[in-house]
Amino acid sequence: MSLVLLIARRVAGAVSILVVLSALIFAATEVLPGDAAGVLAGGESSQADRDRLRQDLGLDAGLAHRYLTWATAAAHGDLGTGYVGHRDVAAVLADRLPNSLLLAVLAMAVAVPAAVAAGLAAGLRGGRRTDRMISTATLMAAAVPEFLVAAVLVAVFATGLGLVPEVSLVPLGSRPWRAPAVLVLPAAALAVTALAVAARLVRASVVDIASAPYVEAARLRGVTGTRLALRHVLPNAVGPAVQVVTVMFAGLIGGAVVVETLFNYPGVGYELQQAVANRDVPMVQGLALAMCTTTLVVLLLGDIVHVLLSPVLRGRS
Amino acid sequence: MARTFDRRTLLRAGLIATAAAANVPLLAACSDDSVPAAAGTESPSPRTGGTLRAAFAGGGAAETLNFLMGPTGLDYVRARCLHPPLGVLDPAAEHGVRYGVLDRIDISDDLRTYTLKVRPGVRFTDGSALTARDVIYSLAAPTTLGSLPFLKPPSRNFDLAKARVVDDLTLELPTLGPIADGRLILCQSTLVFKDGTKQFNADMPTAGPFRLTEFEPGQGAAFTRNDGYYSDVHLDGLELRAVADPTARANALTGGQVDFIHDIGPVSARTLEANPRFVVTAARLPYATSLSFGLNLAFKPFADVRVRQAVKHAVDRDAIVKTVFFGRAFVGNDLSSLGFADYAEEIEQRAYDPEKARALLDQAGVGRFTVAVTTAPEVAGMAETATVVVENLKAVGIDATLAQKPAGQLFADFPAYVKLPFAASYAPPVPPLSNYTSTRTAGSPSNFGFDRPDIDALVAQARAAADPARGREAAVRAQRLMWEDGNQLIPVFAPAISAHTPAVHGVRDEPFTTFERAFLAS
Repeated sequence: MSLVLLIARRVAGAVSILVVLSALIFAATEVLPGDAAGVLAGGESSQADRDRLRQDLGLDAGLAHRYLTWATAAAHGDLGTGYVGHRDVAAVLADRLPNSLLLAVLAMAVAVPAAVAAGLAAGLRGGRRTDRMISTATLMAAAVPEFLVAAVLVAVFATGLGLVPEVSLVPLGSRPWRAPAVLVLPAAALAVTALAVAARLVRASVVDIASAPYVEAARLRGVTGTRLALRHVLPNAVGPAVQVVTVMFAGLIGGAVVVETLFNYPGVGYELQQAVANRDVPMVQGLALAMCTTTLVVLLLGDIVHVLLSPVLRGRS
Repeated sequence: MARTFDRRTLLRAGLIATAAAANVPLLAACSDDSVPAAAGTESPSPRTGGTLRAAFAGGGAAETLNFLMGPTGLDYVRARCLHPPLGVLDPAAEHGVRYGVLDRIDISDDLRTYTLKVRPGVRFTDGSALTARDVIYSLAAPTTLGSLPFLKPPSRNFDLAKARVVDDLTLELPTLGPIADGRLILCQSTLVFKDGTKQFNADMPTAGPFRLTEFEPGQGAAFTRNDGYYSDVHLDGLELRAVADPTARANALTGGQVDFIHDIGPVSARTLEANPRFVVTAARLPYATSLSFGLNLAFKPFADVRVRQAVKHAVDRDAIVKTVFFGRAFVGNDLSSLGFADYAEEIEQRAYDPEKARALLDQAGVGRFTVAVTTAPEVAGMAETATVVVENLKAVGIDATLAQKPAGQLFADFPAYVKLPFAASYAPPVPPLSNYTSTRTAGSPSNFGFDRPDIDALVAQARAAADPARGREAAVRAQRLMWEDGNQLIPVFAPAISAHTPAVHGVRDEPFTTFERAFLAS
């Protein structure tokens, strides 16, 4: 199988998953109690008012028809208009997605080197005190929910030390990158959990590679310490590490809902939370689909890079 | 249930006020801990200058300059900065209203025609004069342009299509029937904007105390003073920021990012009031949200009035005020609109009497029955109040269980909601009689089967009485019947709580927060 064909198959697989996810998102918003017409018309509205509104919104059509209409429009980039405030979903997404991606990239910039360093240190000293300390610390950090991490960070670095602002109030008319201080705590909160999970995955990978015959051979030749880690272990751990990084990134996109809300950070996660609270179904559907798509794209890219970097997989292709 | 406001509006808005308490009739006692004065009630002399930064719950990208359809309280607060009100409800003022762009409202002897006199000299930011045509357009806009329910009372009580512009400053409004409380209806929520407005955007001419300079949905809005406003405005600038999470709002205040935060809940209030750097304020009556429970008459035990009375006697209202609200609430007496002039303070406070409750249940012979009390954390303390009610009911032998829904879900399926046997609700502070007419008359889904044409007739009689004494008498009779036979348990009235730095003064809630008279003391 050629490399191109392999990648094409991965892309086709991702598209299939996206179709399934879109159906799940649509179904999930369908089973929510009540209906949009009832919410929009208000509690005291008459049945006739609600029926008229339902007709206007196209909610009287069958489920399959509505799904196909929505999915087809979404495939053409039309995510619809929010019920509440009548905002174009794609415009909201275009406005907020860069903010969320910035946060995720910053969190990655902190978490990836730290996770690789911690994973290497622990994996190369498997079973010893360093490994136990790092493993325990990362296990604890991975177990702590993001909102608690955020609360501790606020208490220590904002309220306690006064180093950074408690809440990400971006100056009006500006962007988060123009007020870098507002990025610190939400990025750190995302990074802590991601770092912990990733460090454990890197450690597991390193433990496997560290016991491989060629590493043993290097050790027997007297190669130890940093040289062993950087020249013999790390290069072979790059492939799995790329997957770890992509999984991390995908996790950050999901975790952003909690962290962005806690810090009032103007990202997609914050908007999704608000849309759910407002029962703004088109907005929820559009933002959720965008988050799923972003996650799939990241995972797909990671997959492709992994194939390109892996001699075994490249050989198979 | 009396739910005139959109539930999200109220959830986001919260409701506090600075209405002077002196002339406010109080029946239900506040708890032992007195509610502190709202911002600015003990103000130093106003100082001009400075920019006040305030944080509200907001509503994300759904926020809009079209306050008629704005889903959040912040949308209305922002609009109140831009558009002047006809007037505001103020129980301490003559006729219960303090006028804004109106000079006065005259009522014909037959209570069928209201004459609105516009304050001369009010101008929009484009230099044009605000006239009677702008007033009638604004009154009709909730119907012609569409709006949330809480803005529609004028169209439900006045025949706006037959309104007559007498001259630039005079408008005649015929009523749909004789009513004496029309001033309260007109001044409840109407903001005035320019005749012919179709789009609400940053460039539209406005006549409010501030001019909009920046607006980002979900982030906030910035304003500068409108020097052409008909009254003095002290602040140079104002920033309203949307901060959804209440803890984040409190953090923004403690971190110095804002000067004023709205709707913080009783627990955060307790934390902040211990810090001398901040002042915690809450509303005085009548601006408190009623937390209530509807007893559905379709649920067989509640069809017996003795069971309904037993439930009301079983609930320890003082305990709710003390344990749920830490004293920052008012005991309810199963009547809505505590603190308004029409509220029947003559009716004695219902006692917490579990023995009597058990006796009434025995008399009714309903035996031991099971009922689910359905609630959701829609406003601060709502779910916790239901928890206390459930325990109280268990104590008198009713197998009560708590069914708590997630925030935003209680009213999501309204037809299902009105079938619940024991359903929590909340209501904003609005005058009782017009609100009753809108939401609780026979056949209304909100009344949970309590169809009482005799009470409807008394309410109509009270509203149509030319003689205030006779109107009062009918209003009290109607409320006594509701108190005795009614299916609403209203154990508590909870004001929303705000906090600010000591420099902030003059912030009012009428019932939405207004910054027209706010200033920053040096």
